[in-house]
Amino acid sequence: MSTTITRTIATSSRPSLSPSRLRQRVGRALLYIFISALAVALLVPLFWLVASSLKEGSHIFDQPIEWFPANPQWKNYPDAWSALPFTRFLFNTLFVTLLPVIAEIFMSAIVAYGFSRFDFPGRNFLFIVMLSTMFMPAIVSLLPTFLIWKQFNLINTYDPLVIPAIFGGTPLFIFLMRQFFMGVPKELEEAATIDGANIAQTFTRIMLPLIRPALLAASIISFQGHWNDFFGPLIYLNTQAKYTLTVGMYFFEGGVNEQPHWEWLMAMSTLMLLPILLLFIFFQRYFIEGLTAGGVKG
Amino acid sequence: MAGDPLGDYLPTFIRYIVAGVAVFALTVGVFYLFRKVFHWRREAAIGLALITPWFTGFLIFSAFPILASFVLSFTDYNLQQAPNFIGTKNYEQLFTKDINFWPSLRLTLLYAVISVPLSVFFSLMLAILLNQKLRLIGVYRVIYYLPSIVPAVAVVLLWRWIFNPDVGLLNTVLSPIFTLIGQTPPDWFGDESWVLPAFIIMSLWTALGNNMVILLGSRKGLSVDLYEAADLDGASGFTKFVKITIPLMTPALFFLVVVEFSSAMQLSTPAFFARATPAAGRFMNVLIYNYGFEQARMGYATALAVILFLILLGATIIIFRSQSSLVYYEGQQG
Repeated sequence: MSTTITRTIATSSRPSLSPSRLRQRVGRALLYIFISALAVALLVPLFWLVASSLKEGSHIFDQPIEWFPANPQWKNYPDAWSALPFTRFLFNTLFVTLLPVIAEIFMSAIVAYGFSRFDFPGRNFLFIVMLSTMFMPAIVSLLPTFLIWKQFNLINTYDPLVIPAIFGGTPLFIFLMRQFFMGVPKELEEAATIDGANIAQTFTRIMLPLIRPALLAASIISFQGHWNDFFGPLIYLNTQAKYTLTVGMYFFEGGVNEQPHWEWLMAMSTLMLLPILLLFIFFQRYFIEGLTAGGVKG
Repeated sequence: MAGDPLGDYLPTFIRYIVAGVAVFALTVGVFYLFRKVFHWRREAAIGLALITPWFTGFLIFSAFPILASFVLSFTDYNLQQAPNFIGTKNYEQLFTKDINFWPSLRLTLLYAVISVPLSVFFSLMLAILLNQKLRLIGVYRVIYYLPSIVPAVAVVLLWRWIFNPDVGLLNTVLSPIFTLIGQTPPDWFGDESWVLPAFIIMSLWTALGNNMVILLGSRKGLSVDLYEAADLDGASGFTKFVKITIPLMTPALFFLVVVEFSSAMQLSTPAFFARATPAAGRFMNVLIYNYGFEQARMGYATALAVILFLILLGATIIIFRSQSSLVYYEGQQG
């Protein structure tokens, strides 16, 4: 940012610069200042989160706020990790995250392929039904769904968190992927069919690679949703060893112990951010590209 | 490791595989049924077969539970004994006797109606800003997206600190202003008239990044032809924004409004853990959870859930009806 400003000053001292170009440069500098200020404002709470994870519990709420802990308590991290069985929680979370993500993405792609490429009676009607389930309050189906799992004696297992993903994916992803499939020229499939490819081969070898941005975007959104899910595990799991990270973390707020351990909570929150942050940083370009085709055609 | 991980994972994993194979078998079965028995065209049979996984899930996890909810809402089911049919008693009690119902409805509706336009508006501004060709723009996008990846539980706890009347960040920043006008800074979650603004501010911080990414995607998809034509006609940046960008982005904006409204009406994790003063009312999802899972009044809770469902259905229909006059789709005339 600073280079732009110096460049603005440097070039503006040149007499040959036209007023409109000068205006453009100044506008650009103001834009940088504005988006940087906004970025700082958004980051302050997160910065406090990380700073607090390195403080002693009793000093977290000290005034004035100590933004850079003079005496960083790195041991908060191992302490929090061993205060509850977090290694187990991590594996639990991975289990109830990865299985649904894989199923959701694959199934959504199959259904989206069906909706976008094949004409069958009732297709448009079913597509609208599918879209409308996206706006249905989850809680309406939650209570009876809970009763279904209870009927099968599967409360306090991971089934309610994992199995539903197999049944047809998520409306949002189906919608997104359908937009992408519709942008693929039909000739590609026809060529594949002439070459003797069957439907499964055309789908996996030709169609799926072509919608990779949508698959990636959907995977990140899905991963984030399951990784951070709190209500599902809270309602369906009731043995501590089976908890996920979010539920386990919540106990630091005073659920099991008498006093809240804010510094541990902050440390675990910081750790939980990392995988999603890395995913987003690595795939940022594809992520936005993956949402592009979905946005345009509405 | 604590407990018996393998014993917990393996049965679920096996059922996961079995369910996957079952869905696959069902898909193939549907294909042969419609191809061989009903003699559909090959293409139509394949299409129907491919959407079978979704349709099965729809029947099990959407259609059946909704019907069951409607039925249960007319009973006094308490999870222990079989449900008794009690007519419209649950609804009567909700509308006339339940002191929690109207405040809850009011808080939830106000929250949705105020927070959604604000969040969509600011996200749009942000998306336009971040669409500029700037250096380090990728870094800014990541920064703006960051708040939306924080687990909801952590977000709430973070904001409980920010809104803390004595040591919180917000009041520390605001106190000079309030001293200047001779007022004490607000107690946010602790003061019933500040609970709603507090929730709205919190939701903006979390939702901006997500919505911004969706709108940025939509903005990037607009063709440059129109802008070039407008440049030739000497249109200003503002004119281009109002006459080209906004109309072409209405499908995405519309999509966001519908999705955001639905999720605002269903605010749950933040509503649960903000520990806001109950004097302001409880969000509907919280109330449903309280009645259903804590007090084991499933019948009563489903009646409340059905009301929420009907409100959302009505709102979605109204929003979709207004779509034809407000939303511009390329390839349509007018």
